[in-house]
Amino acid sequence: MNLAYLTTVVFGGIAALDATPVGQTLLSQPLVVATVLGAVWGDMRIALEVGIVLQILAVSTMPIGARTPEDYAAGGVVGVGLALGLSSHHPFIMTREASQMLGVLTGLAVAIGGVPLIRWQRRQNEGLSRWCEEELGRGREGALAASHRAAIGLAFAVGVVYCAVCLALGVWGLGALAERESLRLAKAWSLAQPLWLGLGLAHVLHAFIQRRLVRGAVFGGALIVAWLVLMVGTPPR
Amino acid sequence: MTRVKGSDLMRVALRTPLLQATWNYERQQGLGWAWCLKPVLDRLYPDPELRRARLAEHTAYFNTQPTLASLALGVIAGLEEQRAGGAGPDADGVSRVKGVLGSALAALGDRLFWSTLRPFAACLGVVLALGGTWQGAATMWVCYNALHLGLRWQGVAWGYREGQAVLGEALRRRLEDAVGRLSVIGAAMVGVLVALLMIPGGQPRTVTFQTALMGGLVLGLLTVIRARPSPTQWALGMGALCVAAAWLR
Repeated sequence: MNLAYLTTVVFGGIAALDATPVGQTLLSQPLVVATVLGAVWGDMRIALEVGIVLQILAVSTMPIGARTPEDYAAGGVVGVGLALGLSSHHPFIMTREASQMLGVLTGLAVAIGGVPLIRWQRRQNEGLSRWCEEELGRGREGALAASHRAAIGLAFAVGVVYCAVCLALGVWGLGALAERESLRLAKAWSLAQPLWLGLGLAHVLHAFIQRRLVRGAVFGGALIVAWLVLMVGTPPR
Repeated sequence: MTRVKGSDLMRVALRTPLLQATWNYERQQGLGWAWCLKPVLDRLYPDPELRRARLAEHTAYFNTQPTLASLALGVIAGLEEQRAGGAGPDADGVSRVKGVLGSALAALGDRLFWSTLRPFAACLGVVLALGGTWQGAATMWVCYNALHLGLRWQGVAWGYREGQAVLGEALRRRLEDAVGRLSVIGAAMVGVLVALLMIPGGQPRTVTFQTALMGGLVLGLLTVIRARPSPTQWALGMGALCVAAAWLR
């Protein structure tokens, strides 16, 4: 269990690196995070339930220009990690659904709460940039590599610490709630999950359709055809 | 005249994942740009003083979509080669070309990668992940990175080879076509995804689930044109409301 928490927190640092400073390969996206953590914790179902909701919502976050996007790298790790941590002791469906509800809610709050932290890092990078230019003026070319090492180290450390603090607070503060109020939280999950999925899919759809009637018709046609195939084509159990 | 070698371009390409490592509000990708271009400057300017001067020039403000930045790096490597041979543009000229490339590639890249390919890969991944397997995440990752990493690593050599002509009509048309095709397939995939969510494995979900899913879709389409509150803030508010509703019932 402790090893699973430790791996989750370290993966928080890796996801923080992938989100902007290194690579941007989507390793930090909630679905990938959920799959990795699901394998680590040995519970793919819960991990994917939370990961899918967070992924659909994360897609509408655009890291365009100087905009500071919501921190779904930390949000995904903490949300999925918390749901897995809270549900790990409880085989009951109610408690597991309550854990999923708390996981997604915490993941969203962590994603929003991470924005000032990203801004802070970027301001630290401004100082690093000025320092690097001064050092280049003094003839130290190695300053370029040193500033990159420092920025990457800072991003990793901030990712690890932020995920560790949020995860620890979540498990400590919400563990009893998930047990005691599992019925109410499970009811809330049954309502919130489709609402979240619908909200996120609307934003994805908007990105694809871009007010083009033909693309809207393609969406409608695909929905109807898939509906008919699933309703008529699937043999009854 | 010293020429840039293929190995230099390869080293630039290998450094491109760190383009945004020192991203900041003042110079944005400026420092990362200088770091990526350093192997080329090392080759072209053996005189340390001149090399440091060129490096300092390249730490100035620069920003573009990070994947397509590889093309700009290749183009500027070519210009620096001409400049080192005494034939290319001066510092202002290079800076102007960087500016033009940065904004043009950002316009193309933001649409292709952030607004189209990433949602497309995510939808594909979610469709497969609904089955409860790891293949969804793997497919999403491969689908995005086949183009992202391919362009990132091949883009430097491509930009160097084509020069400023890389931003010609052919590239624009290819990228626009890719955006158009992915958008049409993506719209169809969202339709399939909605159906799969409502009738997983041929068994319809509860009326509450289907109504809430449609309610979320309608709310999302109504709020999508406004930047604030963001979708995440909407989602957090809706989640809090659902918890409150469960407590009050």
